[in-house]
Amino acid sequence: MSSLMIPSAFATEDVRKTVLSNGLVVLTKEVHTSPIVTSMIWYRVGSRNEELGHTGKSHFLEHMLFKGTERFKKGEIDLLTLKNGGANNAFTSHDFTAYYFNFASDRWEIALEIEADRMVNCAFDPEEFEAEKKVVIEELKTGLDSPWGLLLQEEEATAYKVHPYRNPIVGWLQDVERATVEQQQAYYRRYYHPNNAILVIAGDFDAEDVLKKVDHAFGSIPAGAQPEPMLLEEPPQRGERRLVVRWRSKVPRLAMAYHAPKIAAPDSYALQVLAVVLAEGKASRLYQRMVEREHSVTFVSADYGEAKDPTLFHIRAEGRGDHSINEIEASIHDELTKISTDGVTTHELDRAKHQIEAHFILSRERTLDQAILLGQIETLYGLNYIDSYLQRIDAVNSADVADVCRRYLNENSRTVAQLLSDGSEGDAEDDDEAD
Amino acid sequence: MTKPTEIDLRRPLEVHSHTLNNGLTILLVENPSLPTVSMTASVLAGARHDPESKAGLAIMVSRLLDEGTENRTSLEIADAIESVGGAIDTDGSFERIVAMAGVLNKDVDLGLELLSDLLIRPIFPQEYVDKEKERTLAEIVSAQDRPQVVAGWAFNELVYQDHPLHRPSHGYPNTVERLTRDDLLEFHRRFFVPNNIILSVVGDFRVPEFLPKIEKALGAWEAKPLIFPIYPEPTRQNTKRVKFITMPAQQLNIYLGHLGISRTNPDYYALQVLDTILGGGAGFTARIPQRLRDELGLAYTTFASITMTAGLDPGRFVSFIGTSPENMKLAIDELLNEIRRIIEEPVSAQELQDAQDYLTGSFVFGFESSPQIARFLVHAQVYGLGFDFIEKYPQYVRAVSVNDVTRVARKYLDSENYTLVVVGPVAEDGNLLNGTQ
Repeated sequence: MSSLMIPSAFATEDVRKTVLSNGLVVLTKEVHTSPIVTSMIWYRVGSRNEELGHTGKSHFLEHMLFKGTERFKKGEIDLLTLKNGGANNAFTSHDFTAYYFNFASDRWEIALEIEADRMVNCAFDPEEFEAEKKVVIEELKTGLDSPWGLLLQEEEATAYKVHPYRNPIVGWLQDVERATVEQQQAYYRRYYHPNNAILVIAGDFDAEDVLKKVDHAFGSIPAGAQPEPMLLEEPPQRGERRLVVRWRSKVPRLAMAYHAPKIAAPDSYALQVLAVVLAEGKASRLYQRMVEREHSVTFVSADYGEAKDPTLFHIRAEGRGDHSINEIEASIHDELTKISTDGVTTHELDRAKHQIEAHFILSRERTLDQAILLGQIETLYGLNYIDSYLQRIDAVNSADVADVCRRYLNENSRTVAQLLSDGSEGDAEDDDEAD
Repeated sequence: MTKPTEIDLRRPLEVHSHTLNNGLTILLVENPSLPTVSMTASVLAGARHDPESKAGLAIMVSRLLDEGTENRTSLEIADAIESVGGAIDTDGSFERIVAMAGVLNKDVDLGLELLSDLLIRPIFPQEYVDKEKERTLAEIVSAQDRPQVVAGWAFNELVYQDHPLHRPSHGYPNTVERLTRDDLLEFHRRFFVPNNIILSVVGDFRVPEFLPKIEKALGAWEAKPLIFPIYPEPTRQNTKRVKFITMPAQQLNIYLGHLGISRTNPDYYALQVLDTILGGGAGFTARIPQRLRDELGLAYTTFASITMTAGLDPGRFVSFIGTSPENMKLAIDELLNEIRRIIEEPVSAQELQDAQDYLTGSFVFGFESSPQIARFLVHAQVYGLGFDFIEKYPQYVRAVSVNDVTRVARKYLDSENYTLVVVGPVAEDGNLLNGTQ
């Protein structure tokens, strides 16, 4: 077996970790290839911290952080970004909320001022809150108009009964509609503290100098009360769950989810290899079988990512032609059975490892990508995960892959979601050029 | 706040440009920041060259390039590149067919070998032609589930009329069905010639070592005369064109606009400034997102641009909003108001200054990764920008005045003769459907 050539620690070797006295974790990584600095702040709060009736709070809060503070009035954060030729955005997930700025390296420090200020001084003007609620509801509706958006939402809501991963990140519509500015503000006070955040700065700067500036901007913000930990655990699933979503489409879509372990669990590495063997690239198992030989799908994917709590291993496919959704599902089950029984070939295993290694390197070119990797892994687990990552991937053998396939990707722990026609799609055939 | 100054790239791009005897253009940039190499071959023929009856041909060619050559089967190609963790992607657009290989530096020879093979010797096996046709047809049906896609297609039909850009680049079901293997081979014979190809390589390699290898792999390929089909320039509409398409959905997807400009238009930079003020820029600073999203809460997504789609052919001026059905009239009125305002009233000196600072400052983000640089090299070559474009760009943008913005707004935007397409829970006569959710 050929072994991987590059240790993954290259991604963390120049990273400096500093903890301010108020608990703010600061990760700096100097990269001088382009005159760019990416600064990101990560909060350890996401939809996993939300209770039913109050879903969507983390995401709504992310929107409110662009609506101004006493010092940076409404619109000023974007305006400063514009004037300085930068870019900014933010994203919310199950496990975290993250904000970033990209600026040229001669003017990036305004980002520190903005992040420090809006960590504690977000304005919550009631009128702005109601206006932004409409925007969030439009975002939620855009998701519902996407067949995959809708199907995955229903799938996750079925796969989990207890754990908050069952709720959509954007929230359930009635929760968003009923959200009040007071509740939203209280949520902000609970989670936005220096000791619940990670600041990541990557790019063209001098770390020594920058750490002084970070301390100046953030050092005076007092530490907050540590938020209560989220303790809900998903009870074991005891049998297959199936659901059908009816929708205006004649294209059948299949989403399957299996309960799988959290980040850095011993089995997680073999499961990552399994996902690649199954569906990454044209030589992969499911692609060869379902796209190439059976012609039953337009695409098939397998996806298993890092998460703070036990998560899902997803397999998705979109049907084509006259192939039934049951036939598509049967092919997937059959390949999983084969792997559970016979394992994977040495060649498949090597190929998958090299794909993981190359992806790890090829997707880190921009400073933003590097900052995302560092911030995400520090938020979910700790940077030592990266240091040993490729080594652990390299240690996976065929028996490991068969073993995790058998134990995790089995009938009793799966949820099978199908999106099928509601019989109305004829109405949508208004495209006169379609034939 | 300190006044922003122009930014220089830390390392000015050193572009090594060569033309082989057979006319193949080679553009090389060493970028050793990561141990990777990005190779892109651009064939300068695309869906704009498809005859109407064979719409979708160029895209079909691009999708089948890596599905078998005289030397390798589809699976052998995929397995060879994936076994070293590399990737080959082939893709097509209206202007170009592109084959890309991304590899670690140690695998650069393999990447070049595979890329050369699929450019020179693809065989388009009948089995794969049949399969790809069926797959494309299925994807067209799948795409019709997305209101924004349906709206975009209908908008292009109305804006371009008989010009090739009126159609989706992948063609129509009835034209895709009729494509044959001979059509693909003929397209390849006609347009895949070295004098119609740009090879750009960016990453961790040395020019003196790699250039002879390229010459060896591609130098013996024979040049041929090229004849491109001729079609008339599209014309700007002089009446309103409106279409409502019924689709049960939560939101209406609204496109409002008309024919735009080509990339070589001398007013391109003034229009980039206009785009930044009207519908683009950072966050929600531009007038349309500020008014329709931030103030009125009508949408999550709303924007406008005329330069975004500028290419060899004129692109489109597009303003877009996805909004709840009850907002339809207000949303359309507000889009038109903003278009009218920028035509009728001069922008402020501050708006101009901010847009210029934004464009010249954020420019640097387009040159961070090897694939980004490879893309720039092709654009520089195809649109005649020159490789010193990076140094010149700030001057082009700084030269734009308030009067220029007004002049180009009046010349290129039209708030009367436009195309409007609305897709969602709306009847064909434009009335909202009752009770749709």
